[in-house]
Amino acid sequence: MITEKLIRAIDDGYRQIGQILILPDTMGTAYALCHLDDREKLDALEVFRNPADARDISTWAEDGHYRFTKGELSLKNGWILLLEDAEALRQAIDLFYPAAIGLWLADIEGDLEVEHLRDKLNRQTGMYKFARNISDEGAQQLVQTVCGPGNCCVKHIRWQIDADTPLEDSEASRFNGTLDTGIPAIPLLCREACNHFVAECRKASKAEFEKQQNA
Amino acid sequence: MPFKPKPDSALLIVGHGSTENPDSSTPYFDHADEIRKRGLFAEVHCCFWKEEPSMREARFIIDAEEVYVVPDFISEGYFTQEVIPRELELSGPTTRHRGKTWHYTLPVGVHSSMTQLLLHRAREVAPAVDPSEATLFIVGHGTGLNKNSTKAVRDQADMIRESDAGYAAVHDTYMEEQPFIADWAEIAKTPHVVVVPFFIADGLHSYQDIPVLLGFEKDEGEAASQRDVFRQNPYHLRGKTLHYSSAIGTERLMADVILDQISDFDAKHLA
Repeated sequence: MITEKLIRAIDDGYRQIGQILILPDTMGTAYALCHLDDREKLDALEVFRNPADARDISTWAEDGHYRFTKGELSLKNGWILLLEDAEALRQAIDLFYPAAIGLWLADIEGDLEVEHLRDKLNRQTGMYKFARNISDEGAQQLVQTVCGPGNCCVKHIRWQIDADTPLEDSEASRFNGTLDTGIPAIPLLCREACNHFVAECRKASKAEFEKQQNA
Repeated sequence: MPFKPKPDSALLIVGHGSTENPDSSTPYFDHADEIRKRGLFAEVHCCFWKEEPSMREARFIIDAEEVYVVPDFISEGYFTQEVIPRELELSGPTTRHRGKTWHYTLPVGVHSSMTQLLLHRAREVAPAVDPSEATLFIVGHGTGLNKNSTKAVRDQADMIRESDAGYAAVHDTYMEEQPFIADWAEIAKTPHVVVVPFFIADGLHSYQDIPVLLGFEKDEGEAASQRDVFRQNPYHLRGKTLHYSSAIGTERLMADVILDQISDFDAKHLA
């Protein structure tokens, strides 16, 4: 069971996921979550108690933009979410980092089943159908300009361009999905390219096409 | 009939989601929350086409061996008949794979209990209006690409017309095909008009596009005066009093329609 395995991981010392610190037995509740940057000032934080608040806390970045990519390195700070039991904790983490716990556990059990970029792009329809025309070189370049902590994403990319074409070595392709704080962390895994990356592929594919036309 | 709890099953609500507008997925989370609070399922989850978790990630978040998949969509069509089955690897009403049994229901929008919900919303937005002096418009998107997209709206208008709701007239109308909602003032013969967008989520269509077509928002400037468009009711324009509701999917009672769709599935496929 996913929730039980999460609790076992916390008992084993895991205390971090993405930009979030997991605090067992804190401020009178079974679990608390807060931003990593706020770990020294728990008493000064705005208190939330409903796991569903996780969605509101994580929807907008400090500068007001919509964080539709949940692995984005832009989680607001200043809050602490107090959760009364393991189920509430699981629900809150699933809202902050959708499917992250399940993907991590599946990876440990050898069941992650990564989806490579070409498979993902070939399933796109409508206006995103053209994303599939991006060249391998273009896609490799995009990984370095869209993914990884340098581009504000905290996920560990597990997919390749296709089964035979790994990602080129870069900060983005090397990143392991955990922020380096020294705290044992559950990594965020990227098993398929996100919709943001697909949208960028579409733009890049269009630019490649226009360049060819003008050549 | 009260819903029979399924303490060993998971509910997976499937929504479209948006990379632009978080309000677009709020109803799905609200519906999930409402059903979760009632303790009817072992687990309740959402997954999306355009947001996280994706449909392909859904199986990684579910423990239960039996999963009810409910498309929180208005109509049957491309998404419910092609995209969702493909993404979740469903081959029929019930699919057994990856160690789970997946039951795939019809979309919420085509269930007959939507009729009561539409009427509830129409009464709520115009509580003082006598239905016999009002024309009710149900507004869908409409597209020349898929005939099914208007069927759900047309069916609901038919059912309300045949009910004892008492509206002087009930019309299905569309943003992008005939009959156009933009022609509401010519179509309506009554002093009062009630407009309910037949969409799951509030977004550009309900905040701006439909208000522009109705004539009380300008077709420029900031997209969506957001929820303010619903707070300024009623609107007095073109010689009539117009009451404008938010998208029907934002109604919390949509949770009941999801449950009704599951009960219907059981009666039809598992009885």
